[in-house]
Amino acid sequence: MSTAGPHLSGYARPMPKSVDSDDAEDRLRRIEAITDTTLGELDVEELLHQLLERVMAILTADTATVLLLERDGRHLVAVASSGIEEEVRQGFRIGFGEGFAGRIAATRQALTIDQVDPTTVVNPILWQKQIRSLAGVPLIAGGELLGVLHVGAVKRVGFTDQDLHLLRLAADRVALSTHAKLTRVEKAAASALQRSLLPARLPSVPGLELAARYAPGEGGGISGDWYDVFTLPSGWLCVAIGDVVGRGLTAATIMSRLRTATRAYALESRDPSEVLTKLDRHIRAFEPDTMATIAYAMWEPSLRRMHISLAGHLSPFVAPPHEPPAPADIAVDPPVGFGSRALRRRTSTIDVPAETLVLFYTDGLVERRNRSLSEGIALLAGSFTGKTAEELCSAVLSGLLGSERNEDDVAVLAIRARELPTLDLEVDAVPESLAQVRAALRRWLPSAGADENEVGELLVVVGEACANAIEHAYGPVGGTVRIRLEPRGPDVLVTVSDSGTWREPRGRNRGKGTELMRELSDELSFEETASGTTVHLRKRLAARSKDQVSGGPAGDGAWVPADGRAVSRAVSGAVSGAAGEQHGETRSDTPSATPESEAPS
Amino acid sequence: MTTAHVEVRDHAADRVDLAISGEIDLSNCTVVRDQLFAAISNRVAAVRIDLSGLDYIDSAGLRILFALADRLRLLQTSCELVVPPQSPTHKVLQLSGLDTLVTLTT
Repeated sequence: MSTAGPHLSGYARPMPKSVDSDDAEDRLRRIEAITDTTLGELDVEELLHQLLERVMAILTADTATVLLLERDGRHLVAVASSGIEEEVRQGFRIGFGEGFAGRIAATRQALTIDQVDPTTVVNPILWQKQIRSLAGVPLIAGGELLGVLHVGAVKRVGFTDQDLHLLRLAADRVALSTHAKLTRVEKAAASALQRSLLPARLPSVPGLELAARYAPGEGGGISGDWYDVFTLPSGWLCVAIGDVVGRGLTAATIMSRLRTATRAYALESRDPSEVLTKLDRHIRAFEPDTMATIAYAMWEPSLRRMHISLAGHLSPFVAPPHEPPAPADIAVDPPVGFGSRALRRRTSTIDVPAETLVLFYTDGLVERRNRSLSEGIALLAGSFTGKTAEELCSAVLSGLLGSERNEDDVAVLAIRARELPTLDLEVDAVPESLAQVRAALRRWLPSAGADENEVGELLVVVGEACANAIEHAYGPVGGTVRIRLEPRGPDVLVTVSDSGTWREPRGRNRGKGTELMRELSDELSFEETASGTTVHLRKRLAARSKDQVSGGPAGDGAWVPADGRAVSRAVSGAVSGAAGEQHGETRSDTPSATPESEAPS
Repeated sequence: MTTAHVEVRDHAADRVDLAISGEIDLSNCTVVRDQLFAAISNRVAAVRIDLSGLDYIDSAGLRILFALADRLRLLQTSCELVVPPQSPTHKVLQLSGLDTLVTLTT
């Protein structure tokens, strides 16, 4: 094996001092032609492949390969190759500083060898392909080492200084384009990942208005901000907002894992501080050297109370109706992953009366280099306007970001606990629908303020009304039953209607249903018209009566259990004595109430 | 879908100990009645049914219990229903008037 110069076999030669200019320029133009025109539309792999083909042709080489430095900075991986595609297919990987390519990366120096064997080259594919000479140069962009480009020749012996010079020029082009592409790809991946993790659609919860905004920062790279809203099978609503320290794809990836972990722990616990304690343990075990701030809140099914734990996160703003907005005055514990060991965490409980606006946000909203955090929070209080959750989001973003360039990402999540909307259901008039009606009621009633006993009682009352319609209203053709529940003042008003004609009940032990309905409601009436039968009933809820400090028809019709029951007993005794159901005429248990005026419209 | 489970806890020569859990409404009352009646032979002198695991019962479900109570009275068999005060169906059973026919144990 001969060598081209007075060098140790296979090792670096000094760079050429001059180049045959005409020929070089001609060749260079051919490289530029590729890099400048076609590149824009190609993805990284395709771009590298095209460049390698051209480099190989220009240098009359048999192989050309690009290895890129891995994220860990300790390995090079073959990502594109012409001539020895096996390298890429087999995912060839070499340690930084090892073998031919590793040495180029470590020294950041060009290198040629004319002896390819296990002593100079790690990759067996190169010996097997009977490569005799190799020339390689580092890929450097913006002072950052990206990888190595090398070419190999089977028959030709030795690469000239001019070849090496051309290779360097080609490498510069490759490095610049690759760098730009990789940056774009990473950015795109990070933002795609982040977008995929933010809820595409906020959950629809009766009685709750949700709105959120995510404003990406212009400081370069995605940061690890996220928010999440989800309901649990138990009826609780969970809200999380957080910020992973760091930027880019790494922060976005960690964020995705924290989000998943939070959801998993949420299923297992009703205590936010416990969820964050577990998350803290999770981050310590699986994401070392990572820290994140999180606000995690769990809303009771009634949506009138929120339990919250803060891990180094800014306290949400709370604005009850007719009160100025202010950050909730609650305990703040350290971020998750902070410090050398897990610390005790605390949960605070906040009452959320109807129409209260709550705003969760990440620090990017209020933090600026040129002003203090408390100034930012004061500004937020000043911008806290709007009636709906959507209006609030728009107002705070326009107030705090405006047209200003925001360095950091900003996430905001606004929640308004509404007065509960009416529940409207229409089910087939078949016995199988009864379970479906109960499921809907079990979700809705707690939001209306019904306690466990009241839920149980209303299930029976509404269930009986539905069962009556199912059993008596229709012939074999069948029909539907419509159920409507409406919160009004201290009461829940219920109507159950069908469009059939009730027949007389048959069988023994009938009449129990109506009796139960009377016993368990505060007012009951049947209204039969040509177009069908409607059952109206009213039930007072203890929690709603407490909330209604003023206004509403309090007193009138207030349910006094002992007396009420005594009266009802007498009435229902008569009913069961008559062994028949009391429909077919409008009537009411409450002597003072006139059915027409009390009946919900 | 409404489901209920009838369980025979103990079946001695002269008495049977049963438990009903789940929910009973119009859609499954016939099934529950058949299971319940099948579990009680005409040799027993005492029937005890634990309803503490029952989450819901409507008047269709009560009809089964009334029918059972009627039948057992005819057979001169005693009947006891166990409904602890905190159980979901306690109030309905209290209001049903069943206590005139059977023993309600709380």
